[in-house]
Amino acid sequence: MYARRAAQLLQELSSCEEGQLPPYNGDKFDQVIRECEEHSRQFQSLIRDKDIETKNEDHYGSFIHHLSIIRNKRCLMAYMYKRAEVIQSYRWNVGRVLPREIQDKLNFSEQEYFKDYCGVIDSYMKDLDLDLTVDMVPPKDPYIRVRVLSEIGEVSLGDHAVSLTKDSFHFLRRTDAEPFISQGLMEEFVE
Amino acid sequence: KKKKKRREQKSFPSQIASLPSPNPRHHPTVGLGASTCAMPGYYDISDILMEDEAVSVAFHVGANGVGLLDPGTETNSVEKGAKIDLPFWLAHELCRRRAVSITIPSCFGQKMKKDVQADAACVDLGTRYPYFYEFGCKLFPLVGDKSIGPFLRHTFANRYKEMLSKSHTASLNAIPKFVLRLSKEEHQLFEAARSSMVEFKKWRVRDLGLMKTTIVGHKRKTDLH
Repeated sequence: MYARRAAQLLQELSSCEEGQLPPYNGDKFDQVIRECEEHSRQFQSLIRDKDIETKNEDHYGSFIHHLSIIRNKRCLMAYMYKRAEVIQSYRWNVGRVLPREIQDKLNFSEQEYFKDYCGVIDSYMKDLDLDLTVDMVPPKDPYIRVRVLSEIGEVSLGDHAVSLTKDSFHFLRRTDAEPFISQGLMEEFVE
Repeated sequence: KKKKKRREQKSFPSQIASLPSPNPRHHPTVGLGASTCAMPGYYDISDILMEDEAVSVAFHVGANGVGLLDPGTETNSVEKGAKIDLPFWLAHELCRRRAVSITIPSCFGQKMKKDVQADAACVDLGTRYPYFYEFGCKLFPLVGDKSIGPFLRHTFANRYKEMLSKSHTASLNAIPKFVLRLSKEEHQLFEAARSSMVEFKKWRVRDLGLMKTTIVGHKRKTDLH
């Protein structure tokens, strides 16, 4: 009670590294909501039939319950907001497809949020006719050597098809190779 | 989706320098270098966690229905005159409405002042009081103690000198022991210094991609005809 559990939820979130998320703690989240309902019940019982202006003990008690609800709300909002920020950054750092470990940490509505966010970004990029997610760091060279780490198969890049078998080396355009590198399927080959 | 509120925050050292005198009618959040909107850093997690610190308060009034706050009470209420520990967010709101008065916590007390006088850099803020400075800034207008402001400034200034030199020379992999003694705000400064050193070193050895000209190596003739 009194927002202690909500603070634990935020501790969990802040103890993770920058850009990482802990699994969505639905249980604690629901517990905090139930605490808010409890505070609300206590609040209702303290203010019924009372004159709002008299500052007696009931007034202060109800005020404390009210503050607890506001505090819980703030904690939960900050929790969702921070997670939403990290999910947005996934689109830019990881790509359109999230690996299994990350997907497991999100709850259903967060996965939906990610899909909608990708859709918004994609339609914006289509209007601009420009892919904004490549070349986040300005490249020195438009082409890069890559080594394929896991079997990808036949991929058509531009006007020709390339067969990306495991442990093969290729000389690709950076914009084509970047989605695979961010998913961990390829790595840059540095001599 | 909620629009992000624009928040501009003054840099941390200037926040301490601009501490106002304690005026009970003065809104605590305005004038501390915070932004102009009513809830600065609403979504800011470290601000929320900082407000969870416990302070000891004395109740001027009774409060019904909140007996859980006071572990010593048998009825479901807090008696007038009770002294209990509340989280800062609760104490701060109640203090604004004159329902409680906050006693100065030990981190700004006499013993701490003596420790800082002896050697400011050795005081362990990281484990005991990680939100030392922010907490002091927020507490300052609520208690009548005018000395907290100068005390914070003095502590920070003394610790900063040593921290500055150590953070620029710290190696990237090992975490030096003194880092554990830093408060959250000092830790951010430390990280900023370390990453800027890393960037500087990278810049020093960067591949400039310059072409060597063939003229280098020939003796230059400097006759003027």
